[in-house]
Amino acid sequence: MSLDYVKFTPGFGKFMPKEYRDMVEHGPFGKKISVSQVGMFKEILEEHPMCAGCAMTLFIRLAIIAFPNPEDTITVGTAGCGRLAISQAAIPFVYGNYGDQNGVASGLTRGLRLRFGDKPKDVVVMAGDGGMADIGFAQTLHSWFRKEKFTTIMLDNEVYGNTGGQESGMTNRNQVLKMAPLGKKFEKMDMLGMAKVAGCAYVATVVPNNPRRVESVIKKAVLVAREIGPSYIQAYTSCNIEYAIPTDKVMEDAKTVEDDRYKFSEYITDEAKEYLSQLYGYKEYLPKPATAVGKQ
Amino acid sequence: MYLVANIDTGICAATSCKLCTQYCPEANTILYNNDAGKDKGLKYGSAYVAVDRCKGCAQCVWVCDNMAKHNAIKMEMIDQIGDTALTQNVTYGEKNSSATLASPIRG
Repeated sequence: MSLDYVKFTPGFGKFMPKEYRDMVEHGPFGKKISVSQVGMFKEILEEHPMCAGCAMTLFIRLAIIAFPNPEDTITVGTAGCGRLAISQAAIPFVYGNYGDQNGVASGLTRGLRLRFGDKPKDVVVMAGDGGMADIGFAQTLHSWFRKEKFTTIMLDNEVYGNTGGQESGMTNRNQVLKMAPLGKKFEKMDMLGMAKVAGCAYVATVVPNNPRRVESVIKKAVLVAREIGPSYIQAYTSCNIEYAIPTDKVMEDAKTVEDDRYKFSEYITDEAKEYLSQLYGYKEYLPKPATAVGKQ
Repeated sequence: MYLVANIDTGICAATSCKLCTQYCPEANTILYNNDAGKDKGLKYGSAYVAVDRCKGCAQCVWVCDNMAKHNAIKMEMIDQIGDTALTQNVTYGEKNSSATLASPIRG
């Protein structure tokens, strides 16, 4: 796609804010950028109003860096903390009404494919656990059953952090919160299992205390969604306010939770493996050579 | 006054881990200058903080102390930190960034 839309109108460059000039001249558009180069280029994400030390922000930042073609990516979000940061990025952001994000993304993906044909346009939904597993549950699942080709990322902070700490479907059983003083009575929803049943081609869990893994998972999910089918990533992004985690201990908590109940997992269909290995050189998914038959 | 992260260039430029740049939740706040250590005869570049964007969460301090085990980052009061990097003074180059240091109070 043409990168003209991120450039200045001739003659206006010198009047643009420094951040804008840096983005056009030293941003990642049209380049191959990786997490290891962070700090040496202008990032797509700008300043945002999220809380200090928020793990969700860190995940969003890493996810946006990891987009394989950021100039051809559109993010979709909904109410919740995450949209405060996702909307402060130099790529288009569409705000769906609460719970509508996967429905909006379905229409958007289809429309983009009609308009741009075979040129890939990546649609990435990033929404919280409430928007995705509770209020937007039906639309999320139906988009998967319909095999809509876009990526769905759940920013799972296991609470309604934006509205004072109510339990969500993704909150763990017995968890006491400010607005759930007796503790949650039910188990955490198995969205990973449902994603597999509903036909997602790539499903992964990830915790942002491993930036390179976040990058790898996001890239694979977005690429699989281009051709094969829906992809789903569930990311543990703790709410340090509602769970009272000191900001300098957020990564310690992420590591503890990862070791305990949020281990990295990856599910990928054979079709998606073949696609990634053939088109994008993912060697780990190449078919293994047949083992030599033992001598008789 | 409030706390911001401050990176000891001497310690940072003796390593090349860049972990703090990857773990900061704020974009373009902890940046990396490949040439920072050369003046002091050190092997690598150093990370530095654009203090006007730092929200003071100290996540980088935990990462530097516990994951990298370099203990190069400390939280310091903004008015006692001396000259430091500000976003308006950051210059990006080809796979590098640098900043002219200025007073965080007066700019």
